[in-house]
Amino acid sequence: MSAPKRILVIDDDADFRASVRALLESADYVVLVEVDGDSGLRAARAASPDLILLDVMMRERTEGFFVLQEIRRTPALTAIPVIVSSSLYHDHPFFRVREDAGWMPADLFLPKPLRPEQLLAEVARLLAPAGVEVSP
Amino acid sequence: VVVIDDDEAIRISCRRILSRDYEVETFERGCEGLARVRQAAPPLLLVDLKMPEMDGFQVLEEAHRTDPDVVVVVITGYATIATAVEALKAGAYDFLPKPFTPDELRLVVERGLERRRLIDESVRLRREREIAQRRFITFVSHQLKSPLVAVKQYLDVLTFTSGEALPDRAREWIGRSGDRIAEMLQLIHDWLVLARLEQGRLEQANETTELAALVPGLLEECVASAAACGVALVAEVPADLPPVKGDALSLRTVLENLIGNAIKYNRRGGRVTVRAGRSGAGVELEVEDTGIGIPAERLPEVFDEFVRVRVPETEGIPGSGLGLTICRTIVQGLGGTIGARSREGAGTTFTVCLPVGTP
Repeated sequence: MSAPKRILVIDDDADFRASVRALLESADYVVLVEVDGDSGLRAARAASPDLILLDVMMRERTEGFFVLQEIRRTPALTAIPVIVSSSLYHDHPFFRVREDAGWMPADLFLPKPLRPEQLLAEVARLLAPAGVEVSP
Repeated sequence: VVVIDDDEAIRISCRRILSRDYEVETFERGCEGLARVRQAAPPLLLVDLKMPEMDGFQVLEEAHRTDPDVVVVVITGYATIATAVEALKAGAYDFLPKPFTPDELRLVVERGLERRRLIDESVRLRREREIAQRRFITFVSHQLKSPLVAVKQYLDVLTFTSGEALPDRAREWIGRSGDRIAEMLQLIHDWLVLARLEQGRLEQANETTELAALVPGLLEECVASAAACGVALVAEVPADLPPVKGDALSLRTVLENLIGNAIKYNRRGGRVTVRAGRSGAGVELEVEDTGIGIPAERLPEVFDEFVRVRVPETEGIPGSGLGLTICRTIVQGLGGTIGARSREGAGTTFTVCLPVGTP
């Protein structure tokens, strides 16, 4: 049995952090949480998590889109899978992130509220070693 | 200030009088002055009406083509009311008859620049207002959604992680609370889509879409919700249908709303038929259900904002009352029409006519 995977959750909503942390911990992940872009980036550099769950509509200038670009520009972090989520953008064609959207190099976009089964399935998929099929 | 006059004496006196308070550039010929207008976009242009090569009227017209906001004052040596009026009609802001005193020149320049300041100010305010409106819509919908999302997320995680351990009634009520919040989120979302549509930022009329390719995939996505309502889905879309005007995302939104309604307001064992065909110069698309129908007197208003037809049969069916408004806004934005006909107790048919798209 390998060491548990570590997931960094960056979100400015305390209630959202609490519920998502409980969900991920119920699936035996180790969860780190940060409340804004700056501390999120610092934590990412210090802890090199296995996956990052990032909100894209936070209050400060260092909101999610900026954090994501920083992650992708930093060699040590660039390979970490990132799931971007937002309550503003909805699972709706107008707001579906296009795959060719170079300005948002996230691995996946999920609208809030996150569906528990879907989040856990996608996290497992993104954390699986290359070449290993994970059934959803 | 740019001055164009073939008379050297005028150029010299303009420079002398104005250069104390303004940056002045003078040109002998219209084409030189216009080159400067293109290059430097001065706020104010003084131009002589009567010049040998290119007269003042031509300069005036050309200057406004280059920069619609440039304020032009004409200098006229044969100051008759007729030429002055003609120049004003052609878009000049003011005129200055020759010979003029230094005070007259200063006054006319001051007035012209004041005019330009007002133009710039109103352009700036209009732009700021547009940006503020856009930000406001985004901000409000985010602020409205955030608490709902946080609550819904708690309920979903609670059900998922410890649903089994909860008493039946708690589980049921948590489920219902989640449904109510989801309805509210849908309402805010629909309002956001509509607000953006009203700013004219969504439909892409210059794109074209193949309905024959779009419809089957859409119906496929609706199979689960149709099955849950006991409704069958039928498509009658010929493969050789010409492409219609509009981007796939907008047309998808229209169809999702119409098909969604046709499923929701149907009856068990009912049917939803999506039909398309040529009609005159356009393409006609029909979404037909076998539901309860809409009373004739309510039919004209179903496309209006927040209108929901309340009858005992629709009790408990969630909806924002904005779906059909969104459909109408998109279809009209694409130059098409949308209408409905209904027979109470037999069903309703929504008809969308769209122009054929030319790629």
